[in-house]
This record gives sequence, structure tokens and C-alpha cells, in this order.
Amino acid sequence: MDTTIIEKVMREIEGYTPKAETEHVGRVMAVGDGVVAIEGLAKGVLGEVIVFDEQGGKHLKDALGHESKLFGLILNLEEDSVRAAVLGDTARVREGTIVSSTGQILSVPSGDELLGRVVNALGAPVDDKGPFKNPTMMPVEREAAGVIYRKSVSVPLATGIVAIDAMIPIGRGQRELIIGDRGTGKTTIAIDTILTQKNEPEEKRPICIYVAIGQKESKTARIKQELMEKGAMEYTIIVDAPASAPAALQFLAPFAGVAIGEFFMDRGQDVLIIYDDLSKQAVAYRQLSLLLRRPPGREAYPGDIFYLHSRLLERACRLSEEKGGGSITALPIIETQEGDVSAYIPTNVISITDGQIFLDASLFNKGLRPAIDVGISVSRVGSSAQTKAMKAVAGGIKLELAQFRELEAFMQFAQDLDKATAERIASGQRMVELLKQRNGEPLPVEKQVALLHAANRRFFAEVPIARVREAAAAFISFADDAHASALADIKRTGLLSDESKQSLDKAGEEFRLAHSDFFTT
Amino acid sequence: MEQKYAHALRKLAEGGIAPQDAVAAVARALEARGRGGLLSRVGKAFARLAVRAARRKRKTLIVARESDAAAARAASGFAEAETIIDDSLIGGWRLEEGDTLTDASYKKYLLDMYNRATRA
Repeated sequence: MDTTIIEKVMREIEGYTPKAETEHVGRVMAVGDGVVAIEGLAKGVLGEVIVFDEQGGKHLKDALGHESKLFGLILNLEEDSVRAAVLGDTARVREGTIVSSTGQILSVPSGDELLGRVVNALGAPVDDKGPFKNPTMMPVEREAAGVIYRKSVSVPLATGIVAIDAMIPIGRGQRELIIGDRGTGKTTIAIDTILTQKNEPEEKRPICIYVAIGQKESKTARIKQELMEKGAMEYTIIVDAPASAPAALQFLAPFAGVAIGEFFMDRGQDVLIIYDDLSKQAVAYRQLSLLLRRPPGREAYPGDIFYLHSRLLERACRLSEEKGGGSITALPIIETQEGDVSAYIPTNVISITDGQIFLDASLFNKGLRPAIDVGISVSRVGSSAQTKAMKAVAGGIKLELAQFRELEAFMQFAQDLDKATAERIASGQRMVELLKQRNGEPLPVEKQVALLHAANRRFFAEVPIARVREAAAAFISFADDAHASALADIKRTGLLSDESKQSLDKAGEEFRLAHSDFFTT
Repeated sequence: MEQKYAHALRKLAEGGIAPQDAVAAVARALEARGRGGLLSRVGKAFARLAVRAARRKRKTLIVARESDAAAARAASGFAEAETIIDDSLIGGWRLEEGDTLTDASYKKYLLDMYNRATRA
């Protein structure tokens, strides 16, 4: 045997004073589907962590070296029993197993050492990088900051997606819902937003937390790989509660994510948290509630399903300077069925959040990606979460697109249209093309400003519609090479000064000369 | 459902109502709701409640071997506790009384020591 172990054991024996320890216990009456009914535990508290004594009745040699302790969470207090969710493998619990109360509310580890790591809903690492050395424990359930400790949202959080940053701006501390059918690009927007944070200076860069709820592990692995390849994992934490995890862990994962984020917010840092997705969390909570025999309500969800999401999302906020000025920006994701935003969970979360980005399957299928329906997408924080440079160039886009959508129906009669209408339609079509973006290629804000400035100057009016995207990409690349100082100035100051405008106009003229092949109409 | 009625029956009995009157009251309540057939299941649920209540009041002293019982009774201060033999404790004693468990077994000491030595 290793001599250090022997020494440790010797020290333990020498320093050990045997004493009888008294515990508050209960006994498992019934177990199944991740939920246990426990007799006793009369002093149990709602939300308290309990520990299952798996060593009871086993001989010492069988009890030694047992896998990590199995915990549970008290969710129901009944007349002479409690019901709890098992936070692990239910098969390890037997009828008659003794359960001890810990007197503690569930908490998860947080701290700098979690950056770049993948953890489960209990904060335990699930990657191969070993345990955390000195984490700070944060309570999973915590009251959201009160009104006097909050500050209004005014600092932009760039997503790198032109359509969002220009028309549906998101501020630090805001809660913006991403909603749409499956396969419409909801996760892509969230991941692009994480990738965009790489453009932020390190001291202002938000810590990103991606909470995967009920997702396929292959999808989470792919996302982690993408974030790693693009250097975004260094400021990102992934909380993973896959589809194969017990419902209790899927229900807890968003709370664990926000608890991890609160550590950084309390320290004065900005945090971006993505809940992918809350529909699956609601389903997990419904499953748990039905197993706990709570009365079902609409769509069989329990009566407190609204409170589940409101108490989670209220924890996203921007703190006042006295509280350190940190923030948590939440991007919850909701999956709709056949675009029905009027279903129970979507309407709940729409009413809780400060706006929504609606992704439309028909737009997606038409090739308009990101498939954002600008008409019903909104950010209630509005232009106060935009830089002055972005405000200066983005003002008229939403109106132009709305007019274009109105006129779109007349496009089939194109030959009968008057010149002004035809021009407006052509301009709208070009704007739609400019707003298209590939996934994984978010655009820094200064480049978005340059692009929209050029569009406002009708720079792409002579480019065939089919080549607008290509021309836009070439123009951005050209401006980045030849007029980098103008872009750097916009990034640094957040303003579009007259010098910057002149420089961008000059870039446009030079580009036109160098790439005359684009301008053929 | 039957558990709720069993709880009601227990409350009636604990409230000082004679057992036959309590059962009659519950039977009447069930009949009035068209659930008369539930009475036998209520009876079984009540029996389970009674067993649990009795178990909660019971004091059990667990020792590794018969010869340890006297010393354990003296150490725990529960001379009247029912004694059970469980050789997995190795030595010492363990007292269960309702929701309280006092563990002074060697098994617990050794497991604690092992956990501290291997996890430190």
C-alpha cells in the first residue's frame, strides 16, 4: 500500500475521538421514476438536500470504495411523509433505505476554474479535466435582486447577427426570448452570440453559460467542439442535463446555470446565459410534478409552472453600481409546435421576458437565414441598448422591411408596378439579402455599422440581387483591410463620426473601382 | 384517496371519538359520496399508518453481537430499547428512535476515517 495512505490512516487513528452522532432521518417507503416517498424526516424543509445511506446493512468491505454519495431534493411535504426527487440513479435506492437530512439548500460550485468546463446540473464536472480545487458554493435557489439594487439596461450585448443588433437590440441584463419551431436556427443564434463575445475586450467580455436541457449529448458535444475550435470555450461554461438525465436534473439545470452566473455577477462581471431550452425544462417539471402527485392544470402542467420560469428569469438583471454593476443577460429558448406562439408555455415565457426573437420556419425554408420574423420580433429595451453608431445607421431598416413586406404581395404583378414601388421592392430585396448570414459567422458591430452605412447610401443598389451577399462580404473585407482605422474607431468609441463616415464612403468608392464586376445593373 | 380517509380516521380517533363511531363516520362520508366500496382499502391504509406510527414510537438499539447489548444500553442511556443484532456494525451501537438516529458504531467510525483518508 502507498506509504502516504498508511501515514494518513495512522494520523486519522491517532487523532480520532469516537463520538456518537445524532442525525435526523427518514426511511424510504416507495421509490420509482426518480421520485421517492419517505416516511419520517418530520423536520425536513422544502428544497432541502437529503442524502441516501447506501451503506446501511452492508458489511464494511462492501461499503468501502462506494461511488459518490447519492443525494435527493425534498419537493413535497405531506402529512406524515415527504416526497423527494433523486438526484442521480434511482436504481441505487431501495425500500427501507435510511435518508438523512443535511440541513442545507442545494448549491453548486462556481468560480473561475469552471471556465472552459462542462458540468452537470449539480455542478459536478462531466469532462475529463478532473475535480474543482477551490470552488465557491452558490445556492441554486436564490431570491432575485430587488428593485433598488437594479439599474436600467443600457449597455449593448452584441449578438453578431445584423438583423438582431440593428432591429432587435439586446442589452446587458435583458431577458430576450428566442422562439421558433424545431430546426429554425434558435441554437445557432445563441451560439453565434457566444462566439461574438470574443470581439469584446477581455475586461468587458461577458462570461457565457450555455445550459443544455434535454438535448442530445451529440448536439452538446458538437457545440462544445465548435466553441473550442473558435476559442470561445475559455470564457464559456456548459451546464449539461441531457435527454438521458433524470427529470429532476433537467428541471434543476437552468437554476444551476444561473447560480453559477450569479457568482460572476456578484463580482461585478457581465454574464450571458442561454437556456436551451425551457420547453424541455417545463416538460421535465411536469413529469416530476405528476409523479409527486401534484394536481395537473392546463396541458397537465402544474399550477406553479409560470412561477418556475418567472423566478428563474427574474434572476437575470443588471445590478446597480453599489452592488458592483454586474449583470446577467438571459437568452431563454422556447420551441413551438407549428409556429404556435399562443400555446401555454410560449405565452408564459413571452410575458416574462423583455422581448422575443421569433424564428419562422417558412422564412427558413425560403432560404432567409437567420429566419427572423422582424414583424413580430421585438426588444422592449429598444435603442437604449444600441451604440450611437448603430442607432445612426439602423433607424430606418425596420420600416423599410415592413414596407417591403407590404409590397411583396404585388411582386407577382411586377410589370404593372410604378417606378417608385418597383424601386422600393428592389431595395427591400437587397436589404433582405444583406441581413442573411451563415451560421458560425457572426459579424462584429463595427462591421455591421459599415455594412448598414453602405446600404443606407444605396451602395448596393446597382448590384444584382443574387450577388448582394457576395458583394457585401467583399466590401466588409475590403474596408477591414484598407480602412481598418475607421472600423477600429467605431469599435472604440461606439460612435459614427464624420471622419468615419467619410472614410467608409471613400472605402465604397475605392471598392467600386476595384470590384466593378459587382456593379452591372 | 384511501390514505386521505385513513388520515381522517386517525385524526378522529386521536381526537377522542370512540373507534366504532369514527369508523361509522368515515363509512357514512364514503357512502354519501358513492364510495362505500373504498372502506376496506381505507382500513388497510389505516393499518399501515398504525404500523408506521408504532415504528416511530419504538426505540431500537442495534448492536453487532448479543454480548455488546448491556454496554450499549448503558452508553446510550436507553435501557428499555428493543435490541437487534446486526453484525455489519462490527462493534459499538446504533439507536433508532422515531426520526432520530444516533450512530456510535465502529462501522461508521471506520467509514468516516476511510472517507477522510482517501478524499483528503
